[in-house]
Amino acid sequence: MRTLLAIGLLIVALQSHAQRSDFNNIDFRTADKYALECKDEGLDNLPFLVHQLTSNLDTDVERFRAIYRWVCGNIANDYGLYLRNMHKRKRFKDDSLKLKEWNDHFRKISFKKLLRHQRTICTGYAYLIKELASLANIDCEIIDGFARTSMIDVATLDTPNHAWNAVKLNGKWYLCDPTWASGLPNTTTNQFEFKYNDGFFLTKPELFAVNHYPVDTKWFLMDDDIPSFNTFLEAPIFYNKAYENLTAHNAPINMHNTVKKYEKVLFNCQLLNKVDEKDISLLIDNGSNAKKVHPQSTTIINQNLIVEYAFETSGFYDVHLYIGSDLITTYTFEVEKG
Amino acid sequence: MKTFVTLTTKKAFSTLGLFMILMIASVYFNQGYAQTTETAQNERIIKGIISDGNGPLESVNIVLKGTKTGTATNSKGEFTFPKPLKTGDVLLISYLGYETIETSIKGDTTFLRLNLSDDLIEFSGALNSDKPYKSKRSN
Repeated sequence: MRTLLAIGLLIVALQSHAQRSDFNNIDFRTADKYALECKDEGLDNLPFLVHQLTSNLDTDVERFRAIYRWVCGNIANDYGLYLRNMHKRKRFKDDSLKLKEWNDHFRKISFKKLLRHQRTICTGYAYLIKELASLANIDCEIIDGFARTSMIDVATLDTPNHAWNAVKLNGKWYLCDPTWASGLPNTTTNQFEFKYNDGFFLTKPELFAVNHYPVDTKWFLMDDDIPSFNTFLEAPIFYNKAYENLTAHNAPINMHNTVKKYEKVLFNCQLLNKVDEKDISLLIDNGSNAKKVHPQSTTIINQNLIVEYAFETSGFYDVHLYIGSDLITTYTFEVEKG
Repeated sequence: MKTFVTLTTKKAFSTLGLFMILMIASVYFNQGYAQTTETAQNERIIKGIISDGNGPLESVNIVLKGTKTGTATNSKGEFTFPKPLKTGDVLLISYLGYETIETSIKGDTTFLRLNLSDDLIEFSGALNSDKPYKSKRSN
């Protein structure tokens, strides 16, 4: 009986998707400390940097963690570089020769910028993580794909617009997004600001899939229930803070919703941390003004958040879900008279 | 008769197999012996030149694998490794944007002439934003 139970547990363990909780026994503060100690190292000697970051750590996951934290804390997003690339790619999208020429040129200037100024865009982050990991004998891949944010309309894109990593630890592949983990552009100045987000490290594949769609769908790292591209396009907007606050998002599954006046709308997420019900709010924007509401029927049981809300006037609304001051998700509601 | 032939063939094969194993083993051990005696005396300074398709490359890193010992190429792509190396030592040759090369020092190596090739990756990137989404409205 015991053996049967053990086998059963083993099967469950093998089936659960690769995620950070597999390493709950490891305290990443040691690895993070090495990343911080190497703050002044540059990219002019990669083997030396990897040696400094990893040689005192015992496990692959900690060695990878030190590399990942170093990249996230020392490489800045380059908004100018991003704009230049988007502009040229759009211009040359029907001229494959010119596009190749631009890509070759852009690769050279991007590497120079990364080496000398430690600034880059997504592929540069993913490339650097892969290079450093391989110097530490850790299998790592660059994953190209599509990403959705509040400012990008993916439906209008012709080519993949984002890159992230998959890393093999203890024989299992895991996902991470060093670009989005490193920080965000300031919402008014557009200047990049370092602000590490731990939610993108070995993220649960189902959560990652809400706004990351890999070109090669095997990199969803999900055995079944792989979302279609349409499901991906129709999903709600997920903000960075969602990754620090949620372990799953269940409802509404679509960004755009149509409901009747007084019809109950259900919002349902699984929370990562303990949250007080009074910290949950919806910001409801009708286009001319926005009001913050704390829906009365908000319950949190075993960190499962359920919010019920009914619109009392017809119209078209953007609805933002907040936990404290963290913006989590956005949906739209067309409310019909009924 | 048939059985006899099969047996003989089998026997011949097994004798041959044993002989082969002995041969390989003797060559292997011989080499091992030669190597240890040679490396004891044969630590030497390694020099080299690193280039890409367009010519010599400056600032390429050359590091002894698993250590912090290393150097970088000068403006002519040349380097002199700061520590004497022995046969079997592995050097990592890397430069951001090029594929890293691992090369082991052979019995007769004193000068390395190596070519790095570009990492042919296509750059793209989506910045994330925590600007709240705003629907476009016609009115």
